[in-house]
This record gives sequence, structure tokens and C-alpha cells, in this order.
Amino acid sequence: MSEGHDGDHRERGHHPAPPTPIERRVTAIESLLVEKGLLTSDVVDAVVETYERNVGPLNGARVVARAWVDGAYRARLLDDATQAIGELGFGGAEGEHLVVLENTPTIHNVVVCTLCSCYPWPVLGLPPGWYKSFAYRSRMVREPRAVLAEFGTTLADDVEVRVWDSSADVRYMVLPLRPDGSDGMAEDKLVALVTRDHMIGVVR
Amino acid sequence: MGGMHGFGPVIRSSGDRALDEPTFHEPWEGRAFGLMIATVAKGLRSGSLRPSIEEIEPATYLASGYYERWARAVEAQLVAGGCLTSAEIDRRAATVGDAPTRSQASDPELSTEIPAFLNGPVPTSGEPVTAAFRVGDSVTVRRMAPVGHHRCPRYLRGATGTVERVNGGWPHPGADAPEAVYRVRFAMHDLWGDDAEPGALFIDLWERYLS
Repeated sequence: MSEGHDGDHRERGHHPAPPTPIERRVTAIESLLVEKGLLTSDVVDAVVETYERNVGPLNGARVVARAWVDGAYRARLLDDATQAIGELGFGGAEGEHLVVLENTPTIHNVVVCTLCSCYPWPVLGLPPGWYKSFAYRSRMVREPRAVLAEFGTTLADDVEVRVWDSSADVRYMVLPLRPDGSDGMAEDKLVALVTRDHMIGVVR
Repeated sequence: MGGMHGFGPVIRSSGDRALDEPTFHEPWEGRAFGLMIATVAKGLRSGSLRPSIEEIEPATYLASGYYERWARAVEAQLVAGGCLTSAEIDRRAATVGDAPTRSQASDPELSTEIPAFLNGPVPTSGEPVTAAFRVGDSVTVRRMAPVGHHRCPRYLRGATGTVERVNGGWPHPGADAPEAVYRVRFAMHDLWGDDAEPGALFIDLWERYLS
């Protein structure tokens, strides 16, 4: 079934596959808008480049690392994430109202959007294919521990699983536990320990 | 989608554990996404794509890829807004060759504004509004079957939870005035019954969904 990530990686290069109907249609729409003078292609380029190059989970990793080393920042982040994340220069589309969920030794948070694909773009970029898949969207609310196990995440029985179904205007990001053995590590080294999956909550 | 059965395991593509999964798996996906944003930036369409995505016929919705659904919704809104006709898109798509090329044009002023348009600090949103419920109140999600776009998943209807936070006010989709939105906590058992996993579900719900 076709769903979250779109299509197969078709062979390009020497034997390119012919364009699919949707590829033809998207090309036609953009070309018509450009030919009519309604839109310019460089604006579309700029959008693509923004999310391919500049806005991705590295932003969120910087937020997490700062919270791990700076207690006052951590407090501001948990109190008003939009403002605290803005201090690092991140915000905007799909991040107008951010909330950060703190994992603790007895609480594990995980984020899903059952209605569509709500996701905090300014800190995590655009969502990965699996986050948009029907399997993730249908099952994370119904059997979170089973889905987490598929990501290799097994939680002790005394850890409360909190599933957050993004449904309205708030966008959620998880603040993971600082790893054991990372005491004394510099902030820029801590950034490298944080993955997108930590900040969605599918890994602990 | 919440609670539907039969979609199988969550499949990840290779490299998904790292930070380096490609943002777009095919170039046309990037163009579709870029068109979605650029048409708003140019004022060619307004508002959320969600209502148009949800108007896609259900069998087509399930058979379509993610960015394909977005592209269909962008097309529907551009046609509804009078920018393009379906017939001219059909004709143009038929002339796209085996190595798609698209018309190009430049607007340096707008394109340099795009990064800040998309990603820069913004004031926290949400308006102060009158709220009928308070933190700690027990609330029940109304039984209803609304037509059109809304943000109340079916799996919650009739379930009772507890108000954890009053988030502030936002306009409900299709409305202009802000309305209170609440963070509500549900015990998994109250959503799924005796074979539920332990734990809790949190979700933001507009006041109109609650009693």
C-alpha cells in the first residue's frame, strides 16, 4: 500500500523511469502558474532548500543540549517553549505554539498525529515517512508499547507511557533524559547524542 | 486513523534512525511541498490544506502517497480560487515528457524572504478567552458526526477525561473567533477497554467538543 513515504526510489540515471502521473501533474501545475506570471520557481526552490538544508532535527538537538547544560534555560523551556526556542533563533511555520514534554525516570512521552501529520517543523524539520504512515498514526494511540518495541524501545513496567495526539494548534517535542555517562560533556558534543527519534519519543 | 486495525508494523526506510533521511524521497515531492507554501506566500490560496485533503474520496485517499494527497489538495484549492482549470492542468500534464522540465522564473525579493517567512522566532500564539472548564474538571467528548473539517478524532467520542491545562484560545477550523482549547488527559483503559495498555493519552480539544 502506498502511504507515508511516497513511492519507491526509482532508478534514475542511465535508465530513468518515466514520470508518474502525479509527477506530471505537479510539474504541470508549477509550470502553468509560472507561465501565467502568478508564481516564480525560485520561491518554490527557496522553500525546498530551507527544509533540505537549514531546518531539521539539528535545531531540536541544540535545544535539548542547551536544556541539559543550563538549568535556567531548561526551566524556561518547560514553562514557555515557544519563547525559549525562539531564544536560539528557531520558530515560525508549524511552531507558533510549542510545548516541550519532559521525560523522567518514570514518565516517557511519545508524539503522534492521528488526524494528519502535525509536527514541530522549526525544531524537527519535516516528518519522516514512518511518522506519516497509516500504521504509526493508527497504532501509536492504541498500543504504544507494542509500537515502541518495534523501534527497539522497551520500557520498564513502572514507566508511565504518555501518548500525545497532536490535534490542534500546539506542536510537541520531547525532552529526552540526558544519557548516563554524559556528565561533563560539552554542549556541542551533547548535540550529537540527540536524534530526531528521541525528540518524537519513539526511542528513550 | 487513531485505533484503526490492519495497517501492520511501522516500516522505516534505511537510515531512518539517523538524522540524515532525505527530506524528500523524490524531487517532485519537494516541488509539491514548495508549491503548497509558495502559493500561500503569493496569496494564490489561503487557509489550511486539511479540509481539501479530507475531501479526497476515501479509497483514493488510502491509495495515495502523502505528498500526492497534498498535491491534490493544492490543485483543488487553486482550481476553486480560479487560478487554474482542471482541463488546462490535464492538457499540460499530457505534454510533460519523460524527463520532466518545468518553466522557471525568478523573484529574488520574495525568494530571499522565504527562510524568515518559514523559520524565525514568533510570539507565542493563542488568545485569552473565556473558558467553561477548569483544570481538574471531568469532561466527556460529545457524541457527534460532523461533516467537514474538524479536529476531534473519532476514537475519543463518548470518552471521559480530565482537563490538564487550558491552552488558550484559537479559532476552530472554519471559524473566526478564538475558542478555548483544553489539554485533556484520558486513561488508556477509558479509550480502549479491558485489553488496553496502561498509560495515558493527552490531546488538545476545542470547547465545542466537550460537555
